[in-house]
Amino acid sequence: MTAGEVIDRIKKNLGAPWRDTTYRDTFKFGGPETVVTGIATTAFVTLDVVKRAAAARLNMIIPHEATFWSDRDDTALVGRDPLYAAKVELMKKHDIVVFRIHDHMHAQRPDFTFVGSARDVGLDSRYETAPGSHRFVIPETTLGALAADVKRKTGARALRVVGDPAAKVSRIQLGVGYATPVINTPDVDVVISGEQQEADGGFDGPSYVVDATTLGLAKGWIMLGHVISEEAGMLEMAAWIKGFVPEVPVQLVKAEEPFWIPN
Amino acid sequence: MVTPKKSRADDRTVSPLSRREFGALTVSAMAAPFALISRATASPPISATDVIDRIKKSIGVEWKPDTFDTIKAGDPATVVSGVVTTAIASMSVLRRAVDAGANLVITSEPTFYGRADARTPPAGRGGGRGAPPPPDTPPPSDPVYTAKNAFIEKHGLVVFRLNQHWRLRRPDPFATGLASALGWSKRIEAPGDVLRYSIGAASLSALAAELKKKLGTRGGIRVIGDPQTRVQTVALLPGSTPLAAALDALPSVDVIVGGEVREWESVEYARDVVASGQRKGLVLVGRIVSEEGGMSECARWLTTLVSEVPVRHIPAGDPYWSPS
Repeated sequence: MTAGEVIDRIKKNLGAPWRDTTYRDTFKFGGPETVVTGIATTAFVTLDVVKRAAAARLNMIIPHEATFWSDRDDTALVGRDPLYAAKVELMKKHDIVVFRIHDHMHAQRPDFTFVGSARDVGLDSRYETAPGSHRFVIPETTLGALAADVKRKTGARALRVVGDPAAKVSRIQLGVGYATPVINTPDVDVVISGEQQEADGGFDGPSYVVDATTLGLAKGWIMLGHVISEEAGMLEMAAWIKGFVPEVPVQLVKAEEPFWIPN
Repeated sequence: MVTPKKSRADDRTVSPLSRREFGALTVSAMAAPFALISRATASPPISATDVIDRIKKSIGVEWKPDTFDTIKAGDPATVVSGVVTTAIASMSVLRRAVDAGANLVITSEPTFYGRADARTPPAGRGGGRGAPPPPDTPPPSDPVYTAKNAFIEKHGLVVFRLNQHWRLRRPDPFATGLASALGWSKRIEAPGDVLRYSIGAASLSALAAELKKKLGTRGGIRVIGDPQTRVQTVALLPGSTPLAAALDALPSVDVIVGGEVREWESVEYARDVVASGQRKGLVLVGRIVSEEGGMSECARWLTTLVSEVPVRHIPAGDPYWSPS
């Protein structure tokens, strides 16, 4: 079983056309000829993920995000840092092969990042207004109670919230990663997503929620962090790959939330 | 609406910074509206255009027309009663500016949320996800935009963004301002390098707690690294910075204190640096919080240019909270 064969099966089973123009969904380390002993899915190919995957004899890593700390895995940018050489050395030592699945994961139906995040934060599919809408209408609660519930269910230490904790909310739009949905829309009370800049972005963002809150409008913004938001769905990704790669073990090896918060 | 007395109390909870500089530079601004009036009548009138022209003339970097640093709302001919600087001209900051008798607000970040900083919601927004709206459909009315515009109109405010030119000034006022807010100005490592400080050995967890207290953060502060790591040298990366900035800074210091980064860049880099066995850390305090020091510096600088009316800094505060 080679890495190339695994990727061929992924492409065949995707249910959506493969776009060769992607710079994201390519080999980031190693190549198609590498013999695969097992497959690890994860959010990021961290040093620690490499070590734990290797210890479990999973030498093919399929991350949703980057290996070398930028979206384009731009080795020219990081190549002079000794950490880059150390990471390459570690991956060579364990005969690691890395193939990223990002664009095609989001193009796939269902998009497992949403499936995993909804499961992780506790948004039951019976509350989704239409399949794939990622819009949930839950029994009315307060932003404070919702955020506490999401924090407890996800285990996110550094989850961040904007809005009045006492605001009454029920209409939630779920986003994933940096693809945070708009909040300045009348039919959404709360956006739950991974990451978005605080100001000066392409869209509205948390500063809109700050002003809405000052004006007494019930709006909320719950940022899980990028890893918490998108890593849950890598469990679904592992299960899906297992379905057509029965020859080797396939499992989620979590990068885990990177942050802690001071008291 | 908060009263002037309440707004001072707010400032104390939001940031100790405002308390200090308040006494230092804006006694008249806070005294009473009467003081403002008598001072304003004693000085020749100065318009928003006059203030902005003085900024352009004195800022020390070439003024470029095609930047975000323009008037975002209000009539440039408005006679200025007082100037407020802030990291972001939120509704709360605008209210406190009015309470303080000021009508010119100078903001680092957009007043109307996105980079476009337009006074109306972006066309095509408001319909939620999915199909784009038909062309030529005006954007639906938005209660936040509407209320903010109405407040600006009612109080005759002028809002000017000053970011791209301010951050090009040397030494970098966002760095010197953040260092000043943290009480580190005299702990500079090498003369001229305002990004690096030697703060005396402390654990990463003690440093994080100190940052939280001094900057008045709530839920917006996040840390990477072993809490017990001893840190002594610090690089400041205020605002929003790319991976290149972390690659440049972290190898030569123990810890980066930054505003905002992309989590898939500097956060994952710092995590791997720590996992490789290096005793280092990264503390993110938030983009807005990290820029208040620089805008406080801006208020100090503006008092040297504008003597006719009071100038003060009003911090917007940490937008985030953390559920318990």
